Amino acid sequence: MSSAVHSLDNCRVTMKPSPWQEVMPALPASIRRIITGLPPDILEKLEEIRLRQNRPLILGLSGGDILPGINGKPAVESRDWYLVTADDIQRVTQLISGCSLYAFGDELKNGFITLPGGHRVGLTGKAVLENGRVRTLKYISGLNIRISREVKGAASSLLPFIIDQRSGSVLNTLLFSPPRCGKTTMLRDIIRQLSNGIPELNFRGVVVSVVDERSELAGCWQGIPQREVGIRTDVLDGCRKAEGMFMLLRSMAPRVIATDEIGTDEDFAALEGVFNAGVKVLTTVHAASLAELNRRPALRNLLNMKVIERFVLLGRSKNVGTIEEIIDGRTMLPLPGKEVEQCLKYLPAL
Amino acid sequence: MLKILACLVIVSAGGICGMLVARGYSLRPVELRSLKSALQMLETEITYAATPLAEALGLVAERTDYRLAPLFEETRQELLSMSGCTAKEAWEKALLKFYPRSSLVGCDISILRSLGGALGISDSSGQSKHLKLAMEQIGAELEKAEADALQHVKLWNYLGFLGGLVIVLIFY
Repeated sequence: MSSAVHSLDNCRVTMKPSPWQEVMPALPASIRRIITGLPPDILEKLEEIRLRQNRPLILGLSGGDILPGINGKPAVESRDWYLVTADDIQRVTQLISGCSLYAFGDELKNGFITLPGGHRVGLTGKAVLENGRVRTLKYISGLNIRISREVKGAASSLLPFIIDQRSGSVLNTLLFSPPRCGKTTMLRDIIRQLSNGIPELNFRGVVVSVVDERSELAGCWQGIPQREVGIRTDVLDGCRKAEGMFMLLRSMAPRVIATDEIGTDEDFAALEGVFNAGVKVLTTVHAASLAELNRRPALRNLLNMKVIERFVLLGRSKNVGTIEEIIDGRTMLPLPGKEVEQCLKYLPAL
Repeated sequence: MLKILACLVIVSAGGICGMLVARGYSLRPVELRSLKSALQMLETEITYAATPLAEALGLVAERTDYRLAPLFEETRQELLSMSGCTAKEAWEKALLKFYPRSSLVGCDISILRSLGGALGISDSSGQSKHLKLAMEQIGAELEKAEADALQHVKLWNYLGFLGGLVIVLIFY
């Protein structure tokens, strides 16, 4: 999608396309027409586009979902729903891969492909196994296009609690929440601000290294970040987290290493290595509470090590990206104080 | 004088027609040979470098015979236009434009058309199989085209002139 350009006398103002516009090239003309026909206020709230073969097209918005009709308006009656066809699924599968499925073998194995701009497309179908492990997916019949948003300033209210203002260093921080609560958006803004520096907190920018396994954080296109991740940020795109963290540690002399959605035992083992190298870590994980974190053996080990200094629970109680709780890693209790209350009241517009 | 001039025109027109038909026979093997090596390049880009299709087509267009380059270049441009068309549709569209300008015949185009249906929709081993199949089929057509060229190029060159002469003799 080309960006709109307006000429104003001698200045050239380039308008970035909206996040929803960035995913339109991945959709066939029929579905594109339906979505672009929706009212602008709905489009701005668009978070997900779900396509399931022979079932209605569903658009996930920040406040629920809608089923659009052929005329491009939300349909109430089932006869007005737009039913996704096999041809639609095939087309989307081709378009999201730039008609180059062969170049996305590893991504198919993991069940997702990332679009330019960091928008992730989840895929379901029939898994083809080899030695008990998924080799690829075939008969793809379901797709979920998740629209990634960049919200500058989303982390501003949280930053005072993850920076040790006396020593000027960043605290090891784990953001956790169920899916769709804005972890990636929050982490991206933390990275941007730490890298650029925060004058209000008297914090000078530090070198941040990012392992962006799924190209969601920096939205790299041919190695160049398309999202604003800060002037002192190095991004290792498409690399496995465990391997990437060590590569960056050895080669880029970071003060902070950031990575999204840790989950495997290998990731946790690599994190332990990073903690022991004197580098601070920012990361996210899927969990709805501390108790859930504790139930996962690899995470329990990490908690027992007492290396994470801040746990931040995000939620959707007020809006996507609501900071529900900030927990001190030493005491494992919520941080007290009026400032924290103020931070928890803050409503980010993710 | 006028009669002699008319005779000359008829003989040369016949000759030119014959040469044009002969040219088609002689160019087809050249194009098929280039096509085979272009598909070989495409296979290398896809299977070894996993280059995205649009980029791979662009690289092939740069390196291949100028007669075939438009087929790959136009497919690439169609894919990059973000119009929502699939590789098959982009290839088909480019093929329709390319066919009248080429010396290829219906069966060559059928091979290319079925290859278009498979482009970009499978893993690299699948792509390799489809491209190898197309190369084999083109190889078989190339052998036939070379035999045809051997047989028909001289024939049509002579036939054109002789046909012109026959017309002159009948009406003179």
